[in-house]
Amino acid sequence: MVLAQPELRTDPEAATGLGAGPLERSRELAGRLAWPTTAERDRDRSWDPALFAELARAEPGPSLAGPLVPASLGGGGSTAAEGLALLEGLAEGSRDPGLALAVAVHAVLATVPLRAHGTPRQRERYLPRMASGEWFGALSLRQTHGGAVAPAVTARPAPAGQGGWLLTGRLDLVAGAPVAHHFLVVAAHQGGGRTTFLVDRATPGLLVTEGGPAAMHTCPWGHLLLDGAHVDDGSVLGTVEGAAAEVEPLLAVLDWVYCSAPWLGVMRALARDALEAARGRELFGRPLTHDQATRFALADLATQVELAEGLLRRTASRLDDGGALPLQDAAAARLFVADAADRVTRAAAGLTGPLAGTGDGLAERAHRDALFLSRTGGGAQVLRPVVAASMLGLG
Amino acid sequence: MNDRPRSEESTPAFPGIASRAAATDAEGRIPAANWDELIDSGYLRLFHPAEAGGSGADADAQFDAMEALARACSGTYWSATVSALLCGSLIATYGSLRDHEQLLRPLLSGERTACFGIVEPTAGSDASTYRTTVRPSGRPGGGYVIRGEKSRITNAPTADLSVTLARRDKGPGDNGPDWCLAFVNLRQPGVQRYETPHMGLRAMPWGGLVLSDAYVPEADVVPVPFQALSDGMTWGWLLVSIAAIATAEAALTASVRHAQARVSFGRALAHMEGVQAQLADSRAQLDAARVLARRALRERASGSPARQLIGMLKVYATELAVEITQRAVQIHGAFGVTQGHEVERHYRDAQMNVIGAFASNRLREQLAEGLGLGPAVYQPFDWLAPTGLRHHPVSLDGGTRAVQAVA
Repeated sequence: MVLAQPELRTDPEAATGLGAGPLERSRELAGRLAWPTTAERDRDRSWDPALFAELARAEPGPSLAGPLVPASLGGGGSTAAEGLALLEGLAEGSRDPGLALAVAVHAVLATVPLRAHGTPRQRERYLPRMASGEWFGALSLRQTHGGAVAPAVTARPAPAGQGGWLLTGRLDLVAGAPVAHHFLVVAAHQGGGRTTFLVDRATPGLLVTEGGPAAMHTCPWGHLLLDGAHVDDGSVLGTVEGAAAEVEPLLAVLDWVYCSAPWLGVMRALARDALEAARGRELFGRPLTHDQATRFALADLATQVELAEGLLRRTASRLDDGGALPLQDAAAARLFVADAADRVTRAAAGLTGPLAGTGDGLAERAHRDALFLSRTGGGAQVLRPVVAASMLGLG
Repeated sequence: MNDRPRSEESTPAFPGIASRAAATDAEGRIPAANWDELIDSGYLRLFHPAEAGGSGADADAQFDAMEALARACSGTYWSATVSALLCGSLIATYGSLRDHEQLLRPLLSGERTACFGIVEPTAGSDASTYRTTVRPSGRPGGGYVIRGEKSRITNAPTADLSVTLARRDKGPGDNGPDWCLAFVNLRQPGVQRYETPHMGLRAMPWGGLVLSDAYVPEADVVPVPFQALSDGMTWGWLLVSIAAIATAEAALTASVRHAQARVSFGRALAHMEGVQAQLADSRAQLDAARVLARRALRERASGSPARQLIGMLKVYATELAVEITQRAVQIHGAFGVTQGHEVERHYRDAQMNVIGAFASNRLREQLAEGLGLGPAVYQPFDWLAPTGLRHHPVSLDGGTRAVQAVA
């Protein structure tokens, strides 16, 4: 069976008043440009720079490379909710969670901290080039849940006269590493404080190697080895030893919301596949769609998609409201979406059956990649305490 | 927009009703003081426009008030909301203000209450089994009489009016719908009622109506196509979903309070990761349900039947409330299964919401139909034997012995 290109759904954006814009545009674009090669890129674990360049410069509408970069700096000037919709559409159209993750990390996780905490010079240097897709930003997904995991990189002042800082340590799970121009790195000081640095790829003492997890194959993965890498004071993002109050909580919220966003699109694609599979099968001489267990499974699957969509979109809307970061809401949303992705993937696979070699293999890939989603962003062991602490008044 | 639950610090909207909730449940009756408080609060008027005697609150204000009342006392909520919202909406939608204003206004002022007489003793949501019928009275003044039995109906033991689903005894040449809503005055001869003891929502009047040629004026029999009726019933699914959310929120709030106060093995339960996990999962799931509920109520209040959305909400929210109240019982330990404890009441109430106004699997069938899978197809289960999977080979040495086919 060759799976048909996704049929466009027209209602999801109406629910949040987004209009028929970013989601549909990115879904159409990704379906046209990315989906034809998704299965091949996944099999080869390859990153296609030309594809990313095409996604980055696609017109009309906000660029997928810099939707949240202010228009004055060459970006899309989109709202947080629109940025979410772009990633949903990208994943639904491409049926490629790995590609969508790479774009989310570059276009949101590596970008928004610069927008929020960058100096004018940093913003002007990095953001226009990131928004155009010329420079790819990357970071380790081990550094997106605060200091829950002890920092693997340390910072110490460079010798007198040299100025700046020397960074030492090793980071894995760096999404975008092989193609990145620069990295966001959180490093610990001897006294325990943490600082965020912008580390250019050309920094002496920085070695980038390829290699990644057994999931999300279409995202370019790598490791960073920092061996006394020297960065100047202009590389500090935010304030020295201020990461815990500035970039770290922001990165956590961005990961929980925007790395979850593609899964809304993936779940919709899986739900559609499951529905089509049930329509096409017979068992005991009758259509599978007459089987109550099948009907109930499809009903529950559709319900999970609606619930996840509503919760995540609400959280993104709160980012647009300004004010304090919705840390607990974002954690709750990620907890829910990761669980929904797991449920939907299992239910859809149960109905589509083993499709290896016949379709684009989304059910199989989603099994692998949904597990990745549930284990990143700190996983339930971090998300649950964050949510519970706010309920219990504990810290 | 406020999708968060009301904080514990905010003033309860129905303090008297909340303070009497345990006693109300124990006595199995809604006290008059609750109705007085409902009337004073304006709750009963929220759902209807000013020209019908309502206050025309927007969807978010309706949601806030519904959740607040259901948290205060779920039995009182069910009774009041079935009357003012569900029955009021059915009268307003399928009747007319000109003919039925005198029926609607007393429901909104609290002078009278109504029930929705739909289910019959033979089956739950299978309308094909319903036998209650309206036929011409044959009296000089015209009008109709209604005969049949409705069972497991909220407010049936106490209501003044029944919005009753009935078949029409159609005469020759009558090409109208087969079904009607009959607005039946329950304070008349020909109406008997009974109470049915129930597991949860004990204060909610629940039981049956036996209608023995009860009189219905001509204007109060409204022929309605069945599909249109089922759109009206989504108000019922919605009100039950909000009851479930409120019950779950109340159970979760109680769990948080208990976790903070209860010390075990030298530390408060709140510090135990297992308890935190239960609370966090509940919070995330309940937030998702609430976001969907607000969206569903907005769509419904704007005039859309929102069948698919409200159906999804009803299944998820009511089953979730059972799960959250079960977690609450576990967090509370023996307190949670002690009669009279708040959590024990929530646990019983939660079960009622799963069943009331279409049970989950009935709704899942409707959702599947809404997904384009066609209506449910009933077929006697006789397809296994021909496959060979009802035959038991005698042994590994060969030979077979057919078992009897399933009767």
